[in-house]
Amino acid sequence: MEKQIIKLDINNQIHEVAVTPMDLLVDVIRKQIGLTGTKKGCGQGDCGACTVIIDGKAQLGCLKLAIACEGKKITTIEGIANPETGELHPLQQSFLDHGAVQCGFCTPGMILSTKALLDSNPNPTENEIKHALEGNTCRCTGYILILEAIESYVKAQSEGEV
Amino acid sequence: MNILNNFEYFKPKTKSEALELVKNLGDKAKILAGGTDLIIMMKEKMIKPEAIIDIGDIDELKGIECKEGCGAEIKACTTIEYIESSSELAKKYPALTFAASQLGSKQVRVMATIGGNSCHSSPAAETPTPLSALGAKVVISSLEGDRELPIEGFIHGNRKNDLKPGEILSKFILPEPVKNSACRYGNIGLRNAMEIDAVNMAVNIELDEDKATIKNVKLVMGSVAIKPLVSEKVPTILNGRKLNDELVTKVGEAAQSEAKPISDVRASAEYRTDVIGALARRLVKESYEAAREA
Repeated sequence: MEKQIIKLDINNQIHEVAVTPMDLLVDVIRKQIGLTGTKKGCGQGDCGACTVIIDGKAQLGCLKLAIACEGKKITTIEGIANPETGELHPLQQSFLDHGAVQCGFCTPGMILSTKALLDSNPNPTENEIKHALEGNTCRCTGYILILEAIESYVKAQSEGEV
Repeated sequence: MNILNNFEYFKPKTKSEALELVKNLGDKAKILAGGTDLIIMMKEKMIKPEAIIDIGDIDELKGIECKEGCGAEIKACTTIEYIESSSELAKKYPALTFAASQLGSKQVRVMATIGGNSCHSSPAAETPTPLSALGAKVVISSLEGDRELPIEGFIHGNRKNDLKPGEILSKFILPEPVKNSACRYGNIGLRNAMEIDAVNMAVNIELDEDKATIKNVKLVMGSVAIKPLVSEKVPTILNGRKLNDELVTKVGEAAQSEAKPISDVRASAEYRTDVIGALARRLVKESYEAAREA
């Protein structure tokens, strides 16, 4: 099928890509744009590895047609570090500090789901964090460390430390 | 598995453009709203539409209108997350906002729409059950105009509904909750998130002026038949009576006797039957207590 050029706003940068209507956002982000931090797990919307933030909300790249994302603001895991210094986002740093990363495959999705939550609710309860992360599966059973990393970041942020 | 068939993509900007496309393309096209069911069905080659009409970004098809004393209207492309977090909806229809919070995962709720949840017509869908208990109607639009029917009449069975070529579901109309009434929803699955309900249920109870005698009750079960099942027996047991333990037990047995659960990968029919009894007993008590305090 014939490709058409679309513009995708990813991490505050406009990318022109040639896509067919069938191309899924996760594949375009990984293969055409080369941002491989977004992972492809189940391809069925169950595991959350392909989570990206679209217009401020965590969404699934594996169930989204790329062509439907023109005009939307997309943030991938590569877009949350400091663009000038390359320094990790303090939430990412907190995941490292707490050992909340084992194989790392779920981590980008976990962090982006958390970021989308915190952008609208900076002081979530434990249950609110769990509700926001229930679509992100970790098979290294690291949920407790992930929760600790998030809670520690939230606490530091509310005390003005980061 | 993850490759979609070839299709043409249309993204109408207005409802009338969408209706024009739906009419012209007929059954060659599928309507895309949130995509959390449709794209999966396409990946699994259950359907191979020649065209996709993406209505997910049409503003006219989104939003909630909650009018004082006049019920509510929910447009079809309103996302499940938007419904879950609507405080005005939660005040009038907590059973619906709670059911919305139980659907899929955060990401799925952000993408999925209430119209899609009914149009997919899965027997295990979360929102048709409370919508039915609340007496909701669907509005179906086409270039010829609108028609209305109760949600029970809209869903015919597993992935079957009343939509005809040229039509789209455009909104839901919810009646104002009557005085001294309350509706409650519950669901049981194998895990909390990203599960498909083994059983879900909603009970809507209206009490007399004495706030003790049951005037009307509607018990609706999901995932126990090919479509949401409205109990015929429960009103005959409860109407005109004050709730007591004996009646609660009878309600559980009546719901179990009417349901037609299947055994599948998620639960055996036997387990589902147990859950139906438990949910019916729990929700009748909960909605009765809530109605007394309403």
